[in-house]
Amino acid sequence: MIATPRAAAGGTRPLRIAVPKGALFAGSVDALRASGLDVAGLSDPGRQLIIATHDVEFVIAKPSDVPVYVAYGAADCGIAGRDVLVEAALDVVELVDLGFGACRFVVAEREDAPDLAERYRHLGVVRVATKYPRIAEAHFAGKGIQVEVVKLYGNIELAPLIGIADVIVDITATGTTLRENNLRIVEDVLPSTARFIANPAALRTEPRVVALADRMAEASVESG
Amino acid sequence: MRPITPRGFRDVMPAEAAEREAVCSAVSSAVSSWGYERVETPVVEVYEILSAAAGDLQGTAFRLFDADGRLLALRPDMTLPIARLYAARMADEPGAKRFRYEAQVFREHESLRGQSRQFTQLGIELVGVGGPAADAEVIAVLTDALTASGLRDFTIVAGDVAILLALIDAAGLGDSWRAQMLAAAHDRNLVTFDRLAASASEPIADALREVVRLRGGVEAIRRCRETVEPLVGGREVARFAAMWELLETAGAAGRVLADFGIIRSFDYYTGLVFEAYVPGLGVALGGGGRYDDLLGAYGVPAPAAGFAIGLERLSIALADQGVSVPLPPAPVPVDGPAVQAFAEAARRRAAGERVVLADEVFTGEVDR
Repeated sequence: MIATPRAAAGGTRPLRIAVPKGALFAGSVDALRASGLDVAGLSDPGRQLIIATHDVEFVIAKPSDVPVYVAYGAADCGIAGRDVLVEAALDVVELVDLGFGACRFVVAEREDAPDLAERYRHLGVVRVATKYPRIAEAHFAGKGIQVEVVKLYGNIELAPLIGIADVIVDITATGTTLRENNLRIVEDVLPSTARFIANPAALRTEPRVVALADRMAEASVESG
Repeated sequence: MRPITPRGFRDVMPAEAAEREAVCSAVSSAVSSWGYERVETPVVEVYEILSAAAGDLQGTAFRLFDADGRLLALRPDMTLPIARLYAARMADEPGAKRFRYEAQVFREHESLRGQSRQFTQLGIELVGVGGPAADAEVIAVLTDALTASGLRDFTIVAGDVAILLALIDAAGLGDSWRAQMLAAAHDRNLVTFDRLAASASEPIADALREVVRLRGGVEAIRRCRETVEPLVGGREVARFAAMWELLETAGAAGRVLADFGIIRSFDYYTGLVFEAYVPGLGVALGGGGRYDDLLGAYGVPAPAAGFAIGLERLSIALADQGVSVPLPPAPVPVDGPAVQAFAEAARRRAAGERVVLADEVFTGEVDR
């Protein structure tokens, strides 16, 4: 599938940038501001989902939809967490590690969980609940552990408590939610930060994407 | 029973089919004018023959078992079938072979990605000759083909995978690092690419990071040469520069942008790689490159290069650029009693007109 090509209004199309709402929103706005874009409209978007300045259009998107918009060319570029990118596995170019929005993918289990290795020896399979089935599968496949993955859409911490899964694979920034639900981290799966991504065709045909990537890289180095 | 098509397959109705036919014929005649001859190959191939040349096609090729229990695959592109055809039937014939094709190809895709599993490719293969002149011919033919389709605005982005490969090999960091670098370049993950590159010696790391981002015209090619030559020699860049010069002579260079970070999704490319883009369309219209090792997998080493254009994507681009595809005139209805209508229709068709028997012709008695 391909997004409907956007007509050029008066010669140049506005550059369309997908901005994730939620946890990465504030950091994304800061990063865009630091790269010299006019982000005044983003500071109080209200219910507006498309915010246009004279040469840029910001599209406010659910974080996991950002790679979809960018891969299909509906947006030229955008900001997405590494977690979402790995799970989406779509054809986008990952250009800059923006450094903010750091979190870890971890495997967690109940603090009072029975010995998992023992259980695995008897039952031969570990039940995993996650919002990220692709990442979970790849992680356990890499370790040669057989798993049954259950995809859930929220409150993943509940899964081991109510017995739908033995472990969860989820993201955590501080680990607080896990501790509050009597879960402990077993191992790290992969670290994640926000990334500046672009559509491969836009990267090759739209010099503004390259220029923006360079400014984003400079700004993210300066802010450390 | 509800008559439906399988996911990712669709019918093409008359209005669209007429436009596709006109576009195909314009492209075919442009390609044919370079001396390319049409070939057809079976829709199915033996899976292991495809995978012997292209590596693992799981998740890409549509696979099926026949009644003998043999694993077959619907062709995922035309490059592999034509390589097989050449190896089996033409390898002893000396000189360049030029093939063109217009064919349905099939790719497996996960559900809910909105992607077709069948599409139509228009393309060429130039087998038996290599080097900058052969590379230039392939790109010049693509330029002519896209121009003939009526497309007004397009860019062909071209690079050479051998340049990145030479740098990666020169780092001497072992097979696992090499594989990770290639995977990062493949996934277009420049963040990981840069991080991995940092393990190489400083001049090579700097060169890797620069080359993967280098794009432009003559200036970018010169810059690439300056960066790469002291480290791994300038053979690959010189080859690219020579091709560029020929494209300038052919008047095609204005359509081409050099990009040394370009990598295509099949693994078999060994040198030139390129993709065609139109503004505002988020995907490549088509692309291709050189795969000099592919025929070696069938025991008949020979240089080869080619391209494929996706007809469905080309149609979207043409519609977007407001290009109206020239279609034959609508048929003129011929009315009256059947006998007279058949006679009248035959006379007008012989005169070169497009006619259709009117519905009324079929309702009356056939009576002289």
